Amino acid sequence: MTEFVVNGEAVETDASPDTPLLWVLREHLGLTGTKFGCGAASCGACTVHVDGQATFSCVTPVEMVAGLEVTTIEGLSENGDHPVQRAWIAEQVPQCGYCQSGQIMRAAALLSENPSPSRNDIRETMSANLCRCGTYIRIFRAVERAAREA
Amino acid sequence: MTNSSLQNLSAPRVSRRGFIAGATALTFVIGGAGVLSVSQARASGGNAALEPSIWLRIASDDTITIVFPSTEMGQGTSTALPLILAEELDADWDRVQVEQLDFDSREFGNPLFGGVLYTAGSTAVAGYFDPLRKAGAQARRVLTRAAAEHWSVPADSVTTGPSVVVHAESGRRMTYGEVAALPDVSLEVPAVTDEDLKPQSAYRLIGSDAPRRDIPAKSMGTEIYAIDVQVPGMVYAAVLRSPVEGETPVRVDEAQALAVPGVLQTVTLPDGIAVVAERLEAAFAGRDGLDVEWSEAAPARAFDSEADLADYAAIAADLSRSGATWHEAGDVNAVLASADRVVEADYLSDYAYHAQMEPMAVVASVDADGEGAEVWAGTQTQSWTMRTITEILGIEQERVRLHMMTMGGSFGRRTALTQEYVRDALLASQAVRRPVKVVWTREDDLKFGAFRPAAAQRLRAGLTADGRLAGWHHRVATPSVIAFFNPLRWGQVDPKDIISMRGSESKFYAIDHFLAEHVITERRARLAPWRAIGASYTSFAAEAFMDELSEAAGADPIAFRMPLLNDNPRGRHLLERVAEMANWGGARSGDTALGVSFAGYGDSMAAGIAEVAVDRESGQISVPRFWAAVDAGLLIAPNNAEAQVEGGIVFGLSSVLKERITTRGGEVEQNNYYDYEILRANEVPDIVIHLVDGDARPTGMGEVGTPMVAAAVANGFYALTGQRLRHMPFTRDRVLAALG
Repeated sequence: MTEFVVNGEAVETDASPDTPLLWVLREHLGLTGTKFGCGAASCGACTVHVDGQATFSCVTPVEMVAGLEVTTIEGLSENGDHPVQRAWIAEQVPQCGYCQSGQIMRAAALLSENPSPSRNDIRETMSANLCRCGTYIRIFRAVERAAREA
Repeated sequence: MTNSSLQNLSAPRVSRRGFIAGATALTFVIGGAGVLSVSQARASGGNAALEPSIWLRIASDDTITIVFPSTEMGQGTSTALPLILAEELDADWDRVQVEQLDFDSREFGNPLFGGVLYTAGSTAVAGYFDPLRKAGAQARRVLTRAAAEHWSVPADSVTTGPSVVVHAESGRRMTYGEVAALPDVSLEVPAVTDEDLKPQSAYRLIGSDAPRRDIPAKSMGTEIYAIDVQVPGMVYAAVLRSPVEGETPVRVDEAQALAVPGVLQTVTLPDGIAVVAERLEAAFAGRDGLDVEWSEAAPARAFDSEADLADYAAIAADLSRSGATWHEAGDVNAVLASADRVVEADYLSDYAYHAQMEPMAVVASVDADGEGAEVWAGTQTQSWTMRTITEILGIEQERVRLHMMTMGGSFGRRTALTQEYVRDALLASQAVRRPVKVVWTREDDLKFGAFRPAAAQRLRAGLTADGRLAGWHHRVATPSVIAFFNPLRWGQVDPKDIISMRGSESKFYAIDHFLAEHVITERRARLAPWRAIGASYTSFAAEAFMDELSEAAGADPIAFRMPLLNDNPRGRHLLERVAEMANWGGARSGDTALGVSFAGYGDSMAAGIAEVAVDRESGQISVPRFWAAVDAGLLIAPNNAEAQVEGGIVFGLSSVLKERITTRGGEVEQNNYYDYEILRANEVPDIVIHLVDGDARPTGMGEVGTPMVAAAVANGFYALTGQRLRHMPFTRDRVLAALG
């Protein structure tokens, strides 16, 4: 059994310790807002926070988060109104939307570390996450808006 | 182990059951020619409410439900199409619900695809614009007519506001819901003509930037994609597929797979073996444990992308081998024979992968009697997904409960006549008698992808003594995409393959003597439509060649194109506008240079200018800025249109700078995003877009951004370095080779 905290609630899982956190979140706990894109830390669709740090859940064995706090998109805010989420809607960022949970979690972690990032800070940090629809420029604008309006 | 309070799946979109039950309502069956029939269903029920082809429902509680007949992959038409109907209906948009069409009803298929329910080619708005407006106007007429009869006033004295009918003279008004509940509403289908439709100046929804309906859920993680679906009793399947197309297993040792805790059984599929397990990770581990010996007899063993493209290039250059005429005007051979100068160049392009963020995933649950099924899938076509289901199981559509899920991107990937990911889930569910979720890994998605075809193109043109374009010959040596991904369709259109050839018609220019021909080569990989289809490589060749011609003629690249646009004032405007935006011809530092391109998709046009820089040590090209002027007719949703064009430009840039699938021994060599790289955030240019908001018919936004990009980069590279790049993508090694 691995015990950890997800979105403020204590959970335990009997998943094999080497099971990627992503599968435990999505398929065991039903938290499907976090997405599977590559399984190789290459696309960022699976980004969650582990003790506040943006983390690729697809390459994180669940045993690594034992005793730690995991936050997923479902737990980022009570009502989907985190400043980053509000900015995402205001800037009409998502197209297919599949990568956007990961983008939002990456952006939220950036802003908690650096509340006033430069455009270049944003470009570099957000480069960990792929978007095939090409929403990058709207992502930049939304992160800047979130920084302004937070 | 599961804390059920964490289950937080959002309610799916309105279900058809919810649509049928509920309050008294007026319901409308709609087809390509507008409203076909009107019914009034009482709360107590009635057969009319069970009519499956209802597309619009106006309920006594003032909710209006509009069916979305396409599918959503990010392009935003699940907002745009209902909005068009709501505009003519004069509906209160806040009371409009959108319902996904979940079965194959050709009555409301896309008129541009002969009624097939098929979401592709930037055709949803273009194809449905007329029927949706007409249907909205007819439904509005039913409401005003009913109100006039009820009030005993002349029909033409009743007007509408957002979801209300108004008799101004007497000050009376009713909501649409109140009209729907009136007794004995006349159900005769009203005739409307184009003159009855709103003038553009009266639009309050079209062009208004009503927010996309899907964006809040996509910003909260609550949108449900096929890969997210979980149903009671569901198990998981991972499929081990033949590494080479056409090979079959000759010996399978499944002992290790079955030893993985949670693995239930294996299921033999036509081209692979599914490992079914209680948990996804067990399915993957079980698949890793399979020991399979594959046959080694398939012709596809010989597929080799480098050798195959060389063969295509030899075919393109062999003028004695004529192709299927794609577009022709005048007599190009005579003109080239008598031209002052003939210029020729060859262009190559490699296979490209869709790289949509959601790998293939399907949930299927075959009924206990084997005569029905419930399926959750994200595809670009209700028609072909339903066909896949009914053909594989040998069942009737009436027993299929299909859920068309929003897609995590597609770009042409989920279009085929037979969808193997759907098939696999059905066969696995049939075998294990439980609902099965099939999930492809990224490696599966790439190794078993279906690609934009590799192509070799020879361009030939004649110039007059005074440097004008006299004739244009465009040879495209590439396989037929349609013959592979939709043989049924190929039987209807052979040898005209729009997927392979689009763009090579160069339709925006007036060229008196013109020939574009398709030399149909042997297929050497799995193929599929890919964003902008043929135009992603034919417009690269055509517009890079246009740059070469302008140089041969000693003309500025924009000035050289202008006479070809004498009959196309909208196109001229775009080139003039983009030149102005980018300060074309202005003083420059020399560290970067500009390249121009003028292309488009279907009837949508775009002019683009790329600012190009290169690191001469590494061969890495960068594009710091990109300007585009786009005319796709009337803008239904300007903000989303801009997003589509921007995304299309990023897609095109990704393709021309990075994307390359190679094959060897019949196997795809790439594995994942780490060796099939797509453009990242720190590589995206500043993009400035001007959208013309004209009164012309809307012609599609999803792909117009892509075709212009490759040539703009090639031409900018030439302006910077004096060297031509003629093989896409412009990888570092190719750039270094060009720079010598």
